Amino acid sequence: MISPSDPQSSSTAHSTAATPGAARQSSTSSGSEDANQLIPVRMLNEFTYCPRLGYLEWVQGEWAENIETMEGTFGHRNVDKPDRKSIPARKKSNDNGDRDEVQSDSANGDSIHARSITLSSDADGIVAKLDLLELDGGVATPVDYKRGQVPDNPEQSWEPERVQLCAQGLVLRANGFESSQGVLYYIASKRRVVIPFDDALVARTRELIVQFKQAAAEEQIPPPLEDSPKCPRCSLVGICLPDETNLLRAPEESVPDGNRIRKLLPAKSKALPLYIQHQGAFVGKSGDRVTIKLKGEELASVRLLDVSQVCAYGNVMFSGAVIAELNRRSIPIVHKSYGGWFHGITTGLSHKNVELRIRQFRTADDPEAALTISRQFIAGKIKNCRTLLRRQLGSTDDPVIANLAEYRKRALRADSAETLLGLEGMAAKCYFEKFFPMISGIEHYDVDGRNRRPPRDPVNAVLSFVYSLLTKELTVTLNSVGFDPMLGFLHRPRYGRPSLALDLAEEFRPLIADSVTLMAFNNGEINQDSFIARAGAVALTDAGRKSVIAAFERRMDTEITHPIFGYKVSYRRVLEVQARLLARYLLGEIEEYPGFVTR
Amino acid sequence: MRSVYLIAYDIVCPKRYRKIYKAMCGHGDAVQYSVFRCELSDMELQSLKDQLWPVMNLHQDRVMIVDLGPTEGRGDECIEFWGEPRSLIPDRAATIV
Repeated sequence: MISPSDPQSSSTAHSTAATPGAARQSSTSSGSEDANQLIPVRMLNEFTYCPRLGYLEWVQGEWAENIETMEGTFGHRNVDKPDRKSIPARKKSNDNGDRDEVQSDSANGDSIHARSITLSSDADGIVAKLDLLELDGGVATPVDYKRGQVPDNPEQSWEPERVQLCAQGLVLRANGFESSQGVLYYIASKRRVVIPFDDALVARTRELIVQFKQAAAEEQIPPPLEDSPKCPRCSLVGICLPDETNLLRAPEESVPDGNRIRKLLPAKSKALPLYIQHQGAFVGKSGDRVTIKLKGEELASVRLLDVSQVCAYGNVMFSGAVIAELNRRSIPIVHKSYGGWFHGITTGLSHKNVELRIRQFRTADDPEAALTISRQFIAGKIKNCRTLLRRQLGSTDDPVIANLAEYRKRALRADSAETLLGLEGMAAKCYFEKFFPMISGIEHYDVDGRNRRPPRDPVNAVLSFVYSLLTKELTVTLNSVGFDPMLGFLHRPRYGRPSLALDLAEEFRPLIADSVTLMAFNNGEINQDSFIARAGAVALTDAGRKSVIAAFERRMDTEITHPIFGYKVSYRRVLEVQARLLARYLLGEIEEYPGFVTR
Repeated sequence: MRSVYLIAYDIVCPKRYRKIYKAMCGHGDAVQYSVFRCELSDMELQSLKDQLWPVMNLHQDRVMIVDLGPTEGRGDECIEFWGEPRSLIPDRAATIV
């Protein structure tokens, strides 16, 4: 497939030589199929910008928009519209004249401008979508549109853009055109910069193609860039977590005091959940808004921009249009029974990051590996329980503080899942003995421990309800990060239980759920009237539930200082960061899953 | 993170008006006829422009976009209403119905 006159054929040959290795290492999918995957040249641009970014987008299928990618799309609005011009094909340089020479002659002398053309080169293993192709007889010049200004550097362009353009040139050459230079058009400057495809650039482009294929075949994500000025402008920064990952990878003694972490994530998410608990409500779509109606009367209308998830309790109806639109925007719909039982979740097509799910299943299947993570979940939970008590009691004198510290130490050394669960149970018992008397503003029910199914007193009713909100929140988060929430490490999979969400919930129970319960009672947001007792079982009324959901959502929006990274983030973001760190751990990037514990 | 934008439009043709009005409703709240108050991030503003641009006829229609400043700051304080706005301005909180 390689033209003998090609000076760079050796490096291309190298890439095909790597194929058997790819087939050996890739035990999970067909290796030869992987090797034949054509790399889109846009991905080659990303890989040149940052190898990790190229890997995340192409191999793991991650994608996120930011203002730069959106402005880029807007700037491309004309060249992204394919015209229907017919362009005569050229005789390919690598097939021996089985295409008619005359075809190309008809184009000679004519100059053609064509937009949005997709071509590929099997020899180079790349596929390109050309923004604009300028044809003058057999000479083809690819023109690539770039959103910004002409860079103020000697080359008047950035390397990733040059490599991308050169790859387009290689594709054109493979399709029989003569292509010795390309043009970068900078939209903001309205200027063209001519890039000659010299030997050095062609060699660099081929080298990067080989490296990219190797990284994909080895199934090992390249490390993050270190303290790079590229990161703040990258749309995948929230997925990649460059500084966080680097900090957790570095041996402890090499880390200077805390200030190395840049705050690259927004502290709060813009969109918030939408809860619907009116029985018989109808959820529809009007333009880009979600509307909630009851018997034809509008209860609320929310911009889709403001919705992060929709939670429906009991008998709530959805129109097909709203379901399709929510799916398209990757906004999940959580379905619960009126009583709060988790029935299911409606999402768009499942997450593309298959690699992560494979590692999750492998780890869950290995009892030793599963136990290692489970220890962190439980130790984190006990530590956070202890912190809550210490703050509320205002002293460390109480024996329970020392007991919890001891349970935590033993949890970290637990040699089996049963021991771990036993320790968790004992810690929970002595924790709740102290927790229940802290609650005021409610007629004394004389409870000193958890009871459930159904809860028999108001405090347990609220705890159960808030735990279900937390589990829901983590299920949604884990799903969006690419996990299967149903398969856990500590909680064994059982029918209909989101076990991984329950695992990750452990460390957040005291921080989010217990503290919401404590505040909702002690601030008087809920009182005796918020409950209904039926034959010994106690449940929240509609109004009571609304107050508890509001308190929970306020807590999720509260900003705290991250104990490891030192920046301010909301709990909602913390859940996402923890899920992503768990992913980093499972993918072998960091040594230990760092449980989230406050001081 | 988000800023408040005051966006007003004159659209000549009823068919285009309808489309512009719908796009505007998805991005903000009508405070007067043809005047919207929109809380948007830079990406959301771009997505609004993406929607308005192909619909408008720039020879006949007009859109004005005024950046009033960050939501938690000037953007929230600099509007004074006399009479009731056409729709209420929502709080930043989860919607529970």
